[in-house]
Amino acid sequence: MTAASMGCGRDHERFTMPWGPLPEINPSDMFKMPYPNFRRMDKYSRLGLTAIGLALIDAGLSEWTRERKIGIVASTVYGCLETDVDYYKTVIPDRGANASPALFSYTLANSYLGEAAIRFGLTGTNYVLTEQHPTGLAGLQTALDHIIRGDVEQILGGVCDVGCPQIFGKPGIVPPGAVFFMIEKSFARKISSYGELSMDEKGGIIYNGSEIKDIAILVQKCLDGFHHA
Amino acid sequence: MSVDNLKNKDSNRVVVTDAAVITGLGNNLESLWQGLMANETAIRPITRFPVDQDFYKAKIAAHIDDLEAANNRSMLEHLLDRLVLELGSVPSDSALITATIKAGADNLESFCRGGQANFQDVLLSSIANIVGPKLGLICNGICISASCASSTIAVAHGAALIESGRAEVVLVCCADLITEYHFSGFSALKALSPFPCRPFDRDRKGLSLGEGAAALLLMNADRARRENRNRLGSLLGWGISNDATHITAPAKSGRGLVQAVDQALKTAKRKPEHITAINAHGTGTVYNDLMELNAFRQVFGERKVPMYSIKGAIGHTLGAAGAIEVALGLKALSSRVIPLTVGFANPEKGAEGQVSSESQPVSGDYLLTTNSGFGGVNAALVLGR
Repeated sequence: MTAASMGCGRDHERFTMPWGPLPEINPSDMFKMPYPNFRRMDKYSRLGLTAIGLALIDAGLSEWTRERKIGIVASTVYGCLETDVDYYKTVIPDRGANASPALFSYTLANSYLGEAAIRFGLTGTNYVLTEQHPTGLAGLQTALDHIIRGDVEQILGGVCDVGCPQIFGKPGIVPPGAVFFMIEKSFARKISSYGELSMDEKGGIIYNGSEIKDIAILVQKCLDGFHHA
Repeated sequence: MSVDNLKNKDSNRVVVTDAAVITGLGNNLESLWQGLMANETAIRPITRFPVDQDFYKAKIAAHIDDLEAANNRSMLEHLLDRLVLELGSVPSDSALITATIKAGADNLESFCRGGQANFQDVLLSSIANIVGPKLGLICNGICISASCASSTIAVAHGAALIESGRAEVVLVCCADLITEYHFSGFSALKALSPFPCRPFDRDRKGLSLGEGAAALLLMNADRARRENRNRLGSLLGWGISNDATHITAPAKSGRGLVQAVDQALKTAKRKPEHITAINAHGTGTVYNDLMELNAFRQVFGERKVPMYSIKGAIGHTLGAAGAIEVALGLKALSSRVIPLTVGFANPEKGAEGQVSSESQPVSGDYLLTTNSGFGGVNAALVLGR
């Protein structure tokens, strides 16, 4: 989910993560079953949940009957800051009398991971992290670490940001968008893989033998390998 | 790096060499411990923001009275200043893992009211931005945000870094404040108790908010030995799960917590019978406490493992709760006694003979500590004496 496009890797040959408004999300395009809660969610949760859903579709794992011990680790810079502001604006006018419990439920950076866990039956490790100096790769690195350690067999790792709310008068330092990768310990399914991830001694990500420093570059390398193989 | 290379090299065993804690019961771990053992509570009337409105059924919280905000900075900075003072020497090569759910929420309130405030304090990265330079740390810090299990997961993440050999020393640092922001939200969710919370009591009515901060210095055993560091205890196992059931309510079956505890025991290479005591999340909400009793019954069977909650004394310190409870759990193991549960009088069904209004002597070497939170997250740690 980026300002340039939304979709699955298998449907795209090019990937960029530019600055700009994100595409509108229509839940009926994404979810086979009705999903009334989707419209009640904040923008950050809708973005993250959609990207996770697309990654699961791409990996052939969106349909399920029994819960799976699949984890999710996502990085963010601003998290749900926009929702925080929206919520507190319901508190100010009447000194808390009209504080919105519905908005408050989404004032945690990890709320959307809980929504994804419910929607897709994912019971594994599940949290959000923020880097002091963002690289965009921390979620994927940490997800990979959980695989290497054997905590889970399958995990989603990625990044999700909607930008810095205008009220703070600061330009955002990362473009809005969300990207998730589905990574698995041992790949033995009918669907083809994009390649192999490993980790160097310092925790850096290695994709098919090459060091990766940027999440957008990793996506493009995956697409190049898949579509031109 | 193969999985085999990561498994339990003794040199990479994770020990805790220093702990600093600031809560409503004082500016260090000892004052918290003494307060708990004396059945004290820091939960008292709120004076920080107005709560006289009728729709606030609760008007209490466990706050730190003399926290100040100066020069547009959040009270978070003052809290972390105090925390750092309580720490001994921290090696500059320490990895920094922080945890919070809302960092400087007081500054967020100022912005929303049109006031001046430091923007950096609003970000989840703010604790790393404040603590890293204060201590001269050279690495890029991270912040874990996973609702009320944030610092529990931060401790787990730090222990995993050391066990895998990618770090020798990790500083875990966490904090959360009481603000009108949090108070109004929990009140709107009808989660607050009108009286100081009473974990595992059949007459409990909800949680009481608290604020606090904790710092734990984790080190591999070799380095701790080389540097002749004090050893408060060890971190042996950890597990994280999601209920996949509800955003704000726990799974009644306790299945997510059971999964996290099973994983923690497996990582620690210990069995349920090795656990001598449990530090429960014990928020005092009807559903959380029932869920925990249910989960622990599934893990431990009919064995009544001595259990306590500290939230009747210092309130629910949100993202800081897990690390505060690790510091206290290690103190309990080394003292061979677990604290009483402040506010507990009439046991909830299933808590009889397990939770107590008096401190309980314990003789074993392993303590289980767990936290659960919004978004369905659960985290469990196995601590060693």
